[in-house]
Amino acid sequence: MPKVKIHREKPKEKFSYDPKKVLKMLDEHARRILEDIKQGKNPHFDIPTRGLSNVYFDEKSRLIRMGDKLSRRYFLNVAHARKFMQTLLIMAYVKRLVSEGKHASLREAYYANKHTIPGTRENTFEDQSESDPIIEDLERMFGVLREEMHITADRRGYIYGDIVIRDGEDEFNASKLGSGGWAVPGTVEHIQFPEINVDYALVVETAAMADRLIEEKYPKKENALIIATQGQASRGVRRLIHRLHYEEGLPIIVFTDGDPYGWYIYSTIKQGSINLAYLSDKLATPEAKFVGMTMDDIKRYGLENVTEKLKGIPPNKKGGPTGDYKRILEEMNYPWFQNKEWQRQLQLALKWGVRIEQQALANKSLEFVAKEYLPEKINNGDLLP
Amino acid sequence: MAEANQLFREFKIQSVSEFFRRNAAMLGYTGKVRSLTTLVHEAVTNSLDACEEAGIPPYVRVEIEELGDEHYKVVVEDNGPGIPEKYITHVFGKMLAGTKAHRNIQSRGQQGIGISGAVMFAQITSGKATRVITSTGGDEIIEAWVKIDVDKNEGKIVKKEKHPNLKGWRGTRIELEVKNVKYMRSKQGVYWYLKLTAIANPHAHIELIEPDGKLIVFPRSSDYIPEPPVEMKPHPKGVMTDDVYRLAKKTRKNTVRRFLIGEFSRISDKKVDELIEYIAALRLIKTVKDKKLQEQYYQRLMEGDVKSVLRAFKGYTKVVKQVAKLMEKPPEKLTWHEAEEIVEAFKYMKFLAPPTHGLRPIGEENIEKGLKGILKPEFVTAVTRPPKVYSGGIPFQVEVGIAYGGEIPAGFDLYRYANRVPLLFDAGSCVTTQAARSIDWKRYKIDDLDRAPLVLMINVVSVHVPYTGTGKQSIASVDEIYNEIRLAIMDAARRLQTYLSGKHRRLAQVKRRKTFEKYVPEIARALSILTGEPEEKIREYFIRFIESRFTAVEAEDVPVEEVAENA
Repeated sequence: MPKVKIHREKPKEKFSYDPKKVLKMLDEHARRILEDIKQGKNPHFDIPTRGLSNVYFDEKSRLIRMGDKLSRRYFLNVAHARKFMQTLLIMAYVKRLVSEGKHASLREAYYANKHTIPGTRENTFEDQSESDPIIEDLERMFGVLREEMHITADRRGYIYGDIVIRDGEDEFNASKLGSGGWAVPGTVEHIQFPEINVDYALVVETAAMADRLIEEKYPKKENALIIATQGQASRGVRRLIHRLHYEEGLPIIVFTDGDPYGWYIYSTIKQGSINLAYLSDKLATPEAKFVGMTMDDIKRYGLENVTEKLKGIPPNKKGGPTGDYKRILEEMNYPWFQNKEWQRQLQLALKWGVRIEQQALANKSLEFVAKEYLPEKINNGDLLP
Repeated sequence: MAEANQLFREFKIQSVSEFFRRNAAMLGYTGKVRSLTTLVHEAVTNSLDACEEAGIPPYVRVEIEELGDEHYKVVVEDNGPGIPEKYITHVFGKMLAGTKAHRNIQSRGQQGIGISGAVMFAQITSGKATRVITSTGGDEIIEAWVKIDVDKNEGKIVKKEKHPNLKGWRGTRIELEVKNVKYMRSKQGVYWYLKLTAIANPHAHIELIEPDGKLIVFPRSSDYIPEPPVEMKPHPKGVMTDDVYRLAKKTRKNTVRRFLIGEFSRISDKKVDELIEYIAALRLIKTVKDKKLQEQYYQRLMEGDVKSVLRAFKGYTKVVKQVAKLMEKPPEKLTWHEAEEIVEAFKYMKFLAPPTHGLRPIGEENIEKGLKGILKPEFVTAVTRPPKVYSGGIPFQVEVGIAYGGEIPAGFDLYRYANRVPLLFDAGSCVTTQAARSIDWKRYKIDDLDRAPLVLMINVVSVHVPYTGTGKQSIASVDEIYNEIRLAIMDAARRLQTYLSGKHRRLAQVKRRKTFEKYVPEIARALSILTGEPEEKIREYFIRFIESRFTAVEAEDVPVEEVAENA
């Protein structure tokens, strides 16, 4: 079998994190509010509207993007006043974080700003579900990442492979940290990659599968970087994938379960998500490719005995479609799944009513996935767009 | 008292007191609580009437002293004109005697039975005489113990003393000792009765000392003393054969024609000529055998076509002349049948609406004063409707007052009055209750009537209030009265609604303003961190901004701009 080697492409964009930009944004908006109130105008923020109604799929860049609908948050409006106050509170907090060079988690940001408003029994924030959306509002309003405002999410996911990472004063090789690899932090803005000795990055849905590949020495043999997402990819992981692709030219190949949830994880990495549509430019990687699992794999590798039934009621049955079936039908309508290959996979899933997990490949043998399945498909370019 | 004496010729004297002695319930003496209330009512009514007729602002003091189990002394004292010595037995001893009996006049009392009924009730329960202390302001005070001789229907003074009137006191104090009654602070007891009386009589100062020694004062809230009611002649549409027949016997006029013109309202010489034609026509129609034809004549008569009806009969002029002759005979010769003919003819004729000058409503201003003074509400309004007529000839007038909030506890209360007298019993069958309940209160911003701090008072004023029973505690459901009450309530309720919506708007405005103000310190601190300007200054900018927006809003009375965030 002829080996088609995957090569790193040329970098497309430069890493550009500038704390001054965030401070400038904060200052501009706060001064405008102050000017308005001085002149007796009702001060307001213009915040891009969240939700499905304000996102669209940009065919050209193949990204989910945010539309230009704005919602106006006034001070002098009973329905807005509280959020208006919260917005300013978080802005002041971000200013302190960024100018002092400190980072805080979403939860810390919530607790740091929660207190009882003097003379009332009301808290500035009652719940983290109040502060998180305000932080998202600021991201959309300023067009900067939450991480650039020094507010981070919980870390999830890890990488393993021959790549040198510089994190602050530390520098290390991600293939020499033991079998656990390097855990991806909540923010990867300050990370640099002085040395990269891999040909591509393999993004793996489950930690179990990533561990299997590391044990089989797949990264070394195939010159690949393993990125475990552990379910839906966190922002840190998505940002890392984006940076590795655009700043370092690494091809991205995604390996998930063969079910609607796995395919959705792929779609989020590739096109971005509705929730974070305003960050697609920084998080999504439309050039990513999909290696598996596919429905075709079942026939091709004789895995009929290790499939599982889809959950829910099929569309042709009474009460259907629900559960997995409904999800598949939704995905069939996504603009980025509008191609023959994907439609075929989704159709087959509906037809057979089955799903297949990555681990099902262990039915062949423990080494099968590392020695046959992945090298064969990747080197043959047998990938889905 | 000539009038009464004359009247009493119609009755067997011995039976009057005797009858009521056996039927005390008819005078309101039923139940232990109600009997006491009735007793106090009679005495207080007399006091108020006496003061008003004398033009004195009433000061009435009621004292209830517990002497034993269901045994009380009731003292009622007033600052009225006092009673001349020779009238004492008449006032307290004789049933169906008094200054208002059987005159067509709006009155509080019950045709002269009231206080003598009370004296009788005290006498038959405790065996004691009623002590009367009175002075007309002269040199002496008379103290008399009065009893009723039931057989003779006469008052009897069993003991009398005279005292020098050193301080020039004037007024009447009566003390009744009664048994088989009970003092309770219920909605049918004395306290409640006096409270309602005070509301409807804001010109009166009323005090009550309860058996436990507690003094309750319902102070005067108006200086205006209502004019005493004037007598009104009956309207032809409102009389029955018996009225005409009896009045004809009593009149001093010497012909039927003059009697009709003199003793009834809205009857002129011309009307009597018309009456002659109608009576003649009715007599002729009665001779017609064909029922259908007869119906047609009645119909035409009803339409006022009396002349053409007459012409339809041969020799009608003869009948007209006969009837005309009847009008010239002395009234005492009027037969029952003739009186019947006159009343029947009245039904077909048209008359001007009865005069209403005899009606004495409380008046909007005084209702408001009364409600405000006693209930201390936050809002009060009153409506006095123009007089109307029911049953074709009985004038009446409806007044309504609404008091809302303030010291009024939650829960709807209806205060019913007939000629200013509180009605405490039989609320369920009363037209006022029906009318009040028929209102869609939600339309007037009262979402839950039974929990609203709302008092509705209704006063029905008339020479003849159509009570449902002998107790005179419930007004019959007469369409005209029902409709007038409804209109009055709706009118008053609209004003309440205006008040309430204004209040809601102001409250909402204050609340809204507070919402903004409470965030200002937080906003100022954050903006100070962000811009470096002093916190204090930023706070001032915001407060000033809120201030300007809200004063502008109050001037225009429109809500602050409200834009949904996603608009």
